[in-house]
Amino acid sequence: MEIFPALLSVITDPTLLFAIVLAAVVGMVVGAIPGLTASAAIAMLLPITFYMPPMFALAFLYVIGKSGRYGGSIAAILFNTPGTAASAATQIDGYPLARAGKAGKAMKVATISSIIGDLIGDTLLVAGVGFIASIALKLGPPETFAIYFAAFVVIGSVIGKSIVKGLASAVLGILVAMIGFDPISGAQRYTFGLFDLSNGIGLVPLMIGVFVMGEVFAQIEQRSTLTDEVEENESSGNDNALSWKEYKPCLPHTLRGGLIGAGIGVLPGLGSAIAAFISYGEGKRRAKNPEKWGKGALEGVAAPEAANNAVSGPSMAPLLTLGIPGSTIGAILIGVFQIHGIQVGPTLFLTQKDLVYQLFACGMLGIIAYGVIGYFGASKVGQLILKIPTNVLYPVIFLTAFVAAYSAQGSMFDVTVMTVAGFASYLMRKYDFNVAAFVISFVLAKGAEETFRQSLLMSDNGALVFVARPIALAFLILGLTTMALRMRSIVKERRIVLKEHGDD
Amino acid sequence: MRIYAEGLVFSALAVFALWGAYKIPAAYPGETWAGIVPFSAALLLGTLSVIMLVGAAGQPVDPADIPENPATGKIIGLFLIALVYQYSFRLFGYVLPTALVAPVVLALFGMRHSIGLLASVVLCPLVFYVIFFKLLGVFPPHGEIFDLLDWIGG
Repeated sequence: MEIFPALLSVITDPTLLFAIVLAAVVGMVVGAIPGLTASAAIAMLLPITFYMPPMFALAFLYVIGKSGRYGGSIAAILFNTPGTAASAATQIDGYPLARAGKAGKAMKVATISSIIGDLIGDTLLVAGVGFIASIALKLGPPETFAIYFAAFVVIGSVIGKSIVKGLASAVLGILVAMIGFDPISGAQRYTFGLFDLSNGIGLVPLMIGVFVMGEVFAQIEQRSTLTDEVEENESSGNDNALSWKEYKPCLPHTLRGGLIGAGIGVLPGLGSAIAAFISYGEGKRRAKNPEKWGKGALEGVAAPEAANNAVSGPSMAPLLTLGIPGSTIGAILIGVFQIHGIQVGPTLFLTQKDLVYQLFACGMLGIIAYGVIGYFGASKVGQLILKIPTNVLYPVIFLTAFVAAYSAQGSMFDVTVMTVAGFASYLMRKYDFNVAAFVISFVLAKGAEETFRQSLLMSDNGALVFVARPIALAFLILGLTTMALRMRSIVKERRIVLKEHGDD
Repeated sequence: MRIYAEGLVFSALAVFALWGAYKIPAAYPGETWAGIVPFSAALLLGTLSVIMLVGAAGQPVDPADIPENPATGKIIGLFLIALVYQYSFRLFGYVLPTALVAPVVLALFGMRHSIGLLASVVLCPLVFYVIFFKLLGVFPPHGEIFDLLDWIGG
């Protein structure tokens, strides 16, 4: 019920409404630019939010994340280039529809499905987050560490092609987070006598490096290898109106996609892309017209769009209740909370309950804002994207990354961190290491270490404390089972590939 | 070949991390060792790198599995520019390095319009300076050797 007064307070605050509408536009444009992601935009804008009131900053960046997920569908449908990884599934049916002169119709289906999916996710978040927080308050250090452990294993093993590389990326994130003074004993770790390293590696410059500078390196490589950057839809058809009769068959796929996305959103690290592809696969399996999927079925746009947007809200649940980011956007949002001195975790619901529900209210209004703008203006955004010269855009982003990294704390060391992190993240992506696992593990590491050491201090039997407590044991088993299942599915996939090669 | 290289790089990182963990002072009685997590993580990284190397050993060595990348020169060039650019803030402040780097990066990304390149020399430092250092009130980095802002009187 807390959501209704929060909605009222946001609606009556013109500055917050301005932040929401501005963020909806910025997120949509950024999400629609191939290569640029909402994560990059949020990371780049993060230092600027230091100069904003906390609620304005949080609402602005949170809505950019939501709108950016939706914006990816614009490029996927209109240009056959997914603006974000999450919209790659939308492209499968979205672009054939655009080629058939139904770009406007496909965009409207994408917009309505995104709104419904996102609202399903946010409604479940609002309904369940208080309950999760009340449980989280009762967890002791061993249980909390076991949840962190499960998160590390899931993040490291589920995303990407290789479990070994995923786990190595996660471990690397933990090691980088260990640099600096130990918060418990004050001992220096990995500082090698360098004063700059004693305060550790800052979250903000690391994020700007990984998501912004890394993308600039990737873009300069892409520009050298690709001949045409954007494939514009040249269809002359104009069957753009959408009737209820046309959308009605999409509705079950939208609702199912919304629930799939919400379920996946709660799990740390899986993210929108996985939700979108699972929803697309499940939708096709249950469809009355599976033969039309992949050739321009409106349902094939609705299912993944609802799922990838439904991830947004529930991914905030582990972030706000346990301090465990469910996505890369969540990991960056932790930076905003840090900048404004707000401690995420179960106590947030005791100390800053109004702020949390106001943020949810901003998210819901953000959905409506990007929905209205997208329904009536998605094609205009598409035309705008085509006019942006990428040979100017990326150099400007390059220069912005430096000044943004410096602005966070006025530290030249942060600029160096950003530069090195940018190049390292480019190399990680190029060699199929898992950047999301690296970043999320970096954010989780300190909390995990604290609970691990607290558990050891309170235990009479050393590390056996994690096995002796049933909830902790359940989470340890959950993590290991997830890894085992993932290994099994990879082996299965390899066997199928080998069999196919054998048949050839 | 590529998996070998990846395994070797991660082995080197693991050895470095183990050495760093070894240098962390021992715990006082009743406390936990500050190096317990770094040491465990380094050990795990070492194990994962061994798995990578063992996996690589099972595959035929083919130097051609690292494809030639036409953009290697540009990528390394951009990284060097980035390193020099960030370091030059300390020596020459924000404005002069930005004025010099902006046209170079634009040219690297394929901008060939000479007026555009010339305009970037003035516009890029000016726009960033106004947004970040004037409007947001961030204190600009001061150049130890020479700072154009001192000369301009900003």
